[in-house]
Parts: sequence; structure tokens; C-alpha cells
Amino acid sequence: MEKRNKVTSRGRSIGGRASDRVDRVDPYGFERSKDFDYESYEALMSEYLVILTRRSIKWSKLLKGQRKVQKNVKLKRYVRKGIPNEHRSLIWMASSGAQEQLERNPGYYQSLLTAQHDPKLVETIRTDLNRTFPDNIHFHRTSNPCLQKALYNVLLASGYHNPTVGYCQGMNFIAGYLLIITKDEEKSFWLMDALLSRILPDYYSPAMLGLKTDQEVLGELVKMKVPRVWQTMVDHNVMWTLVVSRWFICLYIDVLPVETVLRIWDCLFYEGSKILFRVALTLIHHNQALIQQAQSLPDICQIFKQITRDTFVDECHTFMQKIFKEPGSLSMATLTKLRATCRSRIIAEKS
Amino acid sequence: MSRKKAAKGNKASAASSPASTGSPSTTAAAAAAATPGATRGTGGKGARSSPGIVQMNGVVHPSRPSISNSSEFYDIAFKVMVVGDSGVGKTCLLVRFKDGAFLAGSFISTVGIDFRNKVLNIDGVKVKLQIWDTAGQERFRSVTHAYFRDAHALLLLYDVTNKRSFDNIQAWLTEIHEYAHQDVVLMLLGNKADATHDRVVKREDGERLAKEFGVPFMETSARSGLNVELAFTAVAKELTHRSVKDPSEKFKLQEYVNKEMKSTGCCRS
Repeated sequence: MEKRNKVTSRGRSIGGRASDRVDRVDPYGFERSKDFDYESYEALMSEYLVILTRRSIKWSKLLKGQRKVQKNVKLKRYVRKGIPNEHRSLIWMASSGAQEQLERNPGYYQSLLTAQHDPKLVETIRTDLNRTFPDNIHFHRTSNPCLQKALYNVLLASGYHNPTVGYCQGMNFIAGYLLIITKDEEKSFWLMDALLSRILPDYYSPAMLGLKTDQEVLGELVKMKVPRVWQTMVDHNVMWTLVVSRWFICLYIDVLPVETVLRIWDCLFYEGSKILFRVALTLIHHNQALIQQAQSLPDICQIFKQITRDTFVDECHTFMQKIFKEPGSLSMATLTKLRATCRSRIIAEKS
Repeated sequence: MSRKKAAKGNKASAASSPASTGSPSTTAAAAAAATPGATRGTGGKGARSSPGIVQMNGVVHPSRPSISNSSEFYDIAFKVMVVGDSGVGKTCLLVRFKDGAFLAGSFISTVGIDFRNKVLNIDGVKVKLQIWDTAGQERFRSVTHAYFRDAHALLLLYDVTNKRSFDNIQAWLTEIHEYAHQDVVLMLLGNKADATHDRVVKREDGERLAKEFGVPFMETSARSGLNVELAFTAVAKELTHRSVKDPSEKFKLQEYVNKEMKSTGCCRS
């Protein structure tokens, strides 16, 4: 924290370079990388701040200080345009049903923490504690409060609450983000529960059938919507799992920039897992010319990394507008049908 | 779409044709991995046309050097996979080898599969290693298994400070026998050898297990750099000898490793 304050006070100076004005740590506690482009970030933020301010005023008017929200067309539109960070926790909790669960089960979270835990679960979680956001100041062992302990608690409670899933790598990053945003263990636990038991298919269970299914579904959607990319993947014999498993498992954490991920999650909690496909399809559709140039499997892997790091994904507001336009229509009915087909195909192939 | 799906739509391609040469290059993916010149600048325009390609032991060689996307020349490419339990230091080992760096506490758990390239000079041959880093957690194995069979070499790691990771080596070997190509170059590595105080697996235990399964072995440390370069160089040498050199002139991986290996506490350079 000390480091951050120092940087902030230095940032007050007028003039000079963008790197002297912009914090070394982002608003969520992530240290900016050495090669962080401060100039373009500042240019980007000067535009985005206008949007953020406008949205913030609109949200304040909408909520009028109340803590309860009703899902409706207007709210959905608002969510798609981005939830101001001060309201994120509230809207995520309300729209995902996590708030309802929390209220219906008082004391449940605490009881999970005091239960007898499987030593193997404990060990698996512990292995990843130091490996979850070492670049975030709130997760440093020396920071106060340190989110590492909270992370451990949420993961342990979650694993105990949902023993078939237990702990799966990737959940550490998700719980970490939830803690950064809600700053509350119990809320993070219930949001995690919303994701695992309602919003996402079974991505994290040992068989990872939901993940495998959705990877296949994405393949089918690419075949329909961006056939030449699909052909490129076939030509080089690339399994979708190789390039997109992290996208799905980590819900784009560490794949896309933090702000973009949070904007995606706004819609994920409100609208469900369909949004994950919209993001993937947009990335692929937008970069189809580049992907088609690939000459080999490693080339494709390289390109799939590259497309998650260019300015297109930094400009989160434009990116979020694009995901609802660029891939074209994507109905829940189509998705449900594809999921059923792919799922039975995977099960059939296994037996 | 998965590999299976892709193969389905591509039945006639090399993807599903069985290996006839007994080389590690059993699929189109592996062939691509072993195709120098196939990888080029991702932002580049026209593709390089493949120069006269000579098929040798299933590994494709161009008649002249090619340029990879990092503008490095290379003659031949191999696919190496780093496997082992979660937290044994696979990514650290890889980063130490690739960048010569070890930044304690700067790594995040690997989810799915990641890959890095490095070009080595092996007896005058530029060898490009495509190194695949994998998630260690058991449930990710179904994701990584599919790529086992494309690997030319596997580095199997355990952590000398973690008994469980050592006990799981047998299970890993079973899986490797089941899914990897029978000719895969395999090496067992006991990582974190620098952690003298926390060590629970003796070096002799590692040696005994390796001997039992007929696998070359050494201890490594991503932190100190001990034997890291050697592990990758040794597999690169073995693979290069297999595909370029006369098969009668056999390269002995374990002998080479024994000769070059440094042990913990030894400062021979």
C-alpha cells in the first residue's frame, strides 16, 4: 500500500510523461507490467472516463440509493453498457441470485469454514495460493488486509459446499477477482456458487464435460459463422481446447485486460454463459484474416495469444458493443441445441 | 470442435494416418511441429513457400535454413512436453531455460496448455524446441493427453520437497506408456534440488526409480539453474541424433547426462 501511495503522490505533478502521471498499480491492485504503454493508456482513459462518468450518473439515478433491483430490459441495457465499479458487487449479487441465496442461508458460509476438511483439498488449494495474482498488491503476503487468507477461505468453503467439483485450477483466479470486487468473503462465496451451480455448465468437475462441450460448441459456431477459420483449424489439426480452454476456465481472466474482463462479467452474471461465446466469436471473427494466415499449429497458438493482447480488447467499451454485433445472432435455443448435440457426441466418443 | 472433431472432418489427411516410420512424428500436428519454415511472423504477409523438403525418419527437413517467427534460423524442430504434478515447478523450469531467469513468487498456476519456443545449437544443427507447458492438476489430463502422442520428448518432473509428487511418478509413467508414442524420449527430473532444508525425496530414491523404469534421470533446480539447460540440451541431442545421424552411431542419453550432470552443492562449471 505504501508503494501505491508514493506513486500516487508523485502522479500529482503536472506535465511530463504519462508514466509519471499514471499509477504503477491499477485501480484493482495489479502492478502494471514493465512494458506497460502509459501513453496509449492515458489516451484511452481520457475517453473512457467520460463514458464512466456518464454511466455513473445514470446508474445513480436508476438506483436512487436503494439496494434492491429488478431485472428488466432497461437494467439489462445498463449492464451491457457497464456497471460502475461502486455498484458492481450489488448488481452481480442481485442479478445472479447470489444475494437471495445469501439471505436464505444465514451463517451457512461460516459453518463451512469450521467444518472438517479433506486434507487433499486443503493441500491442492494451498499449492495455488502463492500462485494467484502475485502481481496484485492485495495478494502479497505482507499486505494488510491480505486477500490470500480470504482466497483460501472462499476456495475451501466452495470445495466443501460442492464436493463433486472440489477445487479446480482456474477457480483461484475467479475467487480472486470476486474478492477484489466485493471485498467480502461471503459474497464472493455465493457469487462463486452462482457461477458453478447456475451460470456455467460443469466446467470444473473432474470430467470437465461442460468445458469439453463448450469448446466443441464454439467449434460448431465458428464453423457456421467464420467457416474459413474453422477450415484453418482443421487443416492444421488444432483442437479447440489447445487455444480456448483458458478462455472458458478462467472466464477470460489473464487472457483479456482486467477492465474488459469485468465488463464481460457484468453481462455474465446478468445474462449467463452465452456471453462467453460472444466474446470468443468476436475475437475470432475480428481476427479471421490473421488466423487464416497461420501456417502451422504453433502459429495458430501464437495468433490466438496475440489476438487477446491488441488494442481491440483494451478498448473495452467498444469491444463490448462489438460482441453484441460482430458475431451476429446467437439465440439461447441454438446454444442449448448445440450443447446437447456436442455433449452426447463427447459421451459417445468416450464409450 | 476438438482434435477428434478436426480429425473427423479431415479423415484422409495425415492427421489420422498411423506412423509408419516409427518416428515420434505420428500426426499432422507433430509433422507441423517438425516442419521448419512452417512457423513465420504471424503478422507477415505472404507465406514462405516450403523449399525442397526431404523426409527423414518422419521429421521434415528443408534443404536450407528457415526463419521462425522470432527470426531465428533453425534446421529442425521438435515438440517437448513438460509434465508432472501441480506445483513441481514446470513453468519455472521452462522460464529458466527460455529466459535464464527465476523470479521467486512471480508465477501463476498454469491452466490448460501453454507453449514457448527456443532454438538450440546442437553440434552445428539449429534445433528448435517447441516446449509445451501443461497444467498439473489431474482433471486437466484429459485435455493434455491428446497432445501426449504428438510429443517427441517428455520431461517428467517431481518436486524433491513434495513426497506426493514423487509417489505419483509411477502413475505418470503408466499414463505416458498409454498415451505417448512408444519412441518418445523421456527423462525424469527431480526439481527444486536447491531446497536442501525442505528435501524429503533423496537423490538415490529418484535414481532407483529411474533405473527401475529405464529412464534417464537427474536433479534440477529452476531457482539455481542447476542442470536446467542440460535437461533440454540432452533431449535435443537425442532427438537430433535420431533423425539426422546414422542410426548405428547411437547417442546414449543417460551416459551423456551422467557426464555433464552437476549435483547439488557441486560448483563445477
